[in-house]
Amino acid sequence: MDVGPGFCKDEVEVSGDGRAPRWTERLAVEPRENDSSVIETVLELQNVTKLYGEFRAVDDVSLAIPQGSVYGFLGPNGAGKTTTIRMILEIIKPTSGTIRVFGQPSALLVRERIGYLPEEKGLYKKMTARAIIAYFAGLKGMKRAPARKRAGELLERYGLKDFADKRTEALSKGMGQKVQVLASIAHDPDLVILDEPFSGLDPVNQQVMEELIEDLKSRGRTVLFSTHIMQHAERICDRILLIARGRKLFDGTLAQAKATMPRRVRLETDNDIQKLRALPEVTAVLATDKDGSPSTDGASGPYFELHIRENADPQVILQACFEHGIRLRRLDHSEPSLHEVFVNMVGPEAREVSFR
Amino acid sequence: MRTVYLVAMREFLENAATKGFWIGILLFPLMILASLYATRFLEKATPTRQFVLVDQSGELEKVIVEGLEREHQGQVLEALIGYSQKHSKILQASVADIDLEKMPAEGIEEHVKRLLESNPEVLDGFIAKSGLQPALDELKPLLKDDAPAFEEPRRRFVRVDLPAGVRADQDVDDLVKELRSYLKGDSSLEHEGRKVELFAAILIPKDVLAHVQRPGLKSLLANLQRQGIQYWASNLADKDLKSSVERVVNDEIRRREFLGQKLDIDKVRAVQATRVPFASLNPKKAEGKEEVSIADVIRQWAPVGFVYLLWIAIFTISQMLLNNTIEEKSNRIIEVLLSSITPGELMMGKLAGIAAVGLTVTGSWILSLVLILKLRAGPESQFAVRLFEVLQTSNLLPAFCVYFLLGYLLYAGIFLAIGSVCNTLKEAQNMMGPVMMILIVPLFTMMFIPKDPNGTLATVLTWIPLYTPFIMMNRAAADPPWFDMIGSLILLVLFTAFVLWMSGRIFRIGILRTGQPPKLLELLRWIKA
Repeated sequence: MDVGPGFCKDEVEVSGDGRAPRWTERLAVEPRENDSSVIETVLELQNVTKLYGEFRAVDDVSLAIPQGSVYGFLGPNGAGKTTTIRMILEIIKPTSGTIRVFGQPSALLVRERIGYLPEEKGLYKKMTARAIIAYFAGLKGMKRAPARKRAGELLERYGLKDFADKRTEALSKGMGQKVQVLASIAHDPDLVILDEPFSGLDPVNQQVMEELIEDLKSRGRTVLFSTHIMQHAERICDRILLIARGRKLFDGTLAQAKATMPRRVRLETDNDIQKLRALPEVTAVLATDKDGSPSTDGASGPYFELHIRENADPQVILQACFEHGIRLRRLDHSEPSLHEVFVNMVGPEAREVSFR
Repeated sequence: MRTVYLVAMREFLENAATKGFWIGILLFPLMILASLYATRFLEKATPTRQFVLVDQSGELEKVIVEGLEREHQGQVLEALIGYSQKHSKILQASVADIDLEKMPAEGIEEHVKRLLESNPEVLDGFIAKSGLQPALDELKPLLKDDAPAFEEPRRRFVRVDLPAGVRADQDVDDLVKELRSYLKGDSSLEHEGRKVELFAAILIPKDVLAHVQRPGLKSLLANLQRQGIQYWASNLADKDLKSSVERVVNDEIRRREFLGQKLDIDKVRAVQATRVPFASLNPKKAEGKEEVSIADVIRQWAPVGFVYLLWIAIFTISQMLLNNTIEEKSNRIIEVLLSSITPGELMMGKLAGIAAVGLTVTGSWILSLVLILKLRAGPESQFAVRLFEVLQTSNLLPAFCVYFLLGYLLYAGIFLAIGSVCNTLKEAQNMMGPVMMILIVPLFTMMFIPKDPNGTLATVLTWIPLYTPFIMMNRAAADPPWFDMIGSLILLVLFTAFVLWMSGRIFRIGILRTGQPPKLLELLRWIKA
């Protein structure tokens, strides 16, 4: 698929033409610093619960999203991500709890400040890409002429100029999804909510999507997106919320998330590592014969994972290996990936969900 | 309100861009035009039929040939009368002024036909004066200068000779054997240098007069034994030749009977032409004007047309609404929409947008009807103009508007609720089944109700709100009691409001739901929620 020029940061500044519709004014605004002391809260959920009969789709979730942050909404399938997002947008009503968006009790009161890309993507087949973007922007309060102009500019910038006046049934799935993303941000919302924005995109367009989110962030917009692909979240999130089976498991910054994992050093060796177990810095040793899946299955290597104390220096391990003549094929004390954090936190839950 | 307008506008534009919309708009005027030209076209399109006639008795051949010729001359005369009316200097004015309110219900053409039938001497005179040309010469000074030349109607039946080599004097059964391939269309024969197809063979056996049937039981069996005239034709639908020949022959047979019984044939004819005038009167009309006129007939039957129109319009656009809703739902566009507008706004926008489509289509129909009638102000459309005037002076059009709007809202509400709980068109069709069963009833009763517009069936159906629009439209011309009219209207308005409210509740929940359509009980819970 032709991605076109993709996204280019300098284009943001270029677009002002003096006639200054709302969105061009906005583009000139200096990127806001991510300083938590002066930042207002864009979105706040308090003890939100949604019941479907007996089933607790969302169970007592509270969260607060500061302005200008990129907030990742992570969780396994069926965790309640989409339900939460729908409640935020007031498409459905929570059973209990309160939701405030920009300080308002209903998202519909501030709908022109919110952009939304739903999980399941679809467009009117018989409408042109330009007309659809302009229509959704119009529903969000933009006037007709600027909305159409804006649609044209967005399509051009994201490489869909040639398809602007084609019916969307002629577009490929990826292109259609791009059009829908553009439709959700055409009115330049302050809060953009993207439900699984990366699903169905090829790697190149996933990259474009990431850039788009970073661009929104650099212009001080708040982005809330849900995904179960951790690599994206790891690259672009400031904060993450982990939920499983409707319950919040974690809410905080990326660094905080990683800190929930014990510090560890990974080794690969054929020697006996009994000597390392005795070190005071080491709290636990896991051994396995399958690379990358540490477990306590009692296998005797050759892969080991050593959990070490919070303030310990991993260098000590290396030194001990040297002293005891343990020949290492590999030593790795990089910090855990978000993927590992995710599996660690929701692993058992996710399995349960899938068997339910 | 702006978002409602936007939704409505989008619905309208999307539907206006479909082929179906334009076909819907153009079909109706095309149908009117077609019906205006159809009669003339059909006359020209009726093919000439070739037949062979073998009369072994030698008694009837001349009678049949002359009888068919006389029939043709009758048609020429009819056409000539129509032609002279159309182009006459004197008559023109009077035709245009025909007052439909006073014109007898049967129409002018039947009148001419009846006149000719009951006064055979007119036709006799026409034939005696050796037909068309002298009559045309006589007419000439009376016609307008720009009158086109008279086109003589085509002869419908032409007698052709037997195919070469087929002998007329052989046994009838053998004759049929030889003619069979011609009659079946497998071979064709020559006539005046052209190849023509043989339409029918009329074979009269030698002893035909011995088999003349007189009243009595014996006659019932006679046809079974092929003793009389044999009419062979593979086309069973076109019976005109058969009935013409039958009439001519039987007239001749009866004439001979009269002669045999020494009766004066002219007196018999005169007796046969006597009749008592018969007037249809309607007690509901003003005193002194009780004659049932053609306008009354229009008034009685026009509602049927309107009911049909109403039915088609309501059904088509409700279907559009259903399709649209399902598209939005299956595409999950609905979620984006609902993040911007409330379900209520969405529903109102859709209802308004589709109503605009329906009004555009029906409006264009009425407009094109008026335009066609105005532009084609010839003698035959004078009639149509009067028809339109009758419609104008009656309450049919306003009733149509009211019942269209209410009926549309009622059924749109139902369809919208169905659309919102279904994910695919197939699911929707399952649920549409019962609705269609309900909706089909007015089509069945449509033709009965004008015969007894204030009878039990009509009254009962009137008070079922789902049928009120159609049935009251059907009864509109028959001055239904005020109680029925106002009462059912109030009930209809209340019921429509109730259905819209209910479908609003279902829509709100159903539109986001995926998976199996809900059970009835679940629907009730949504409504209560």
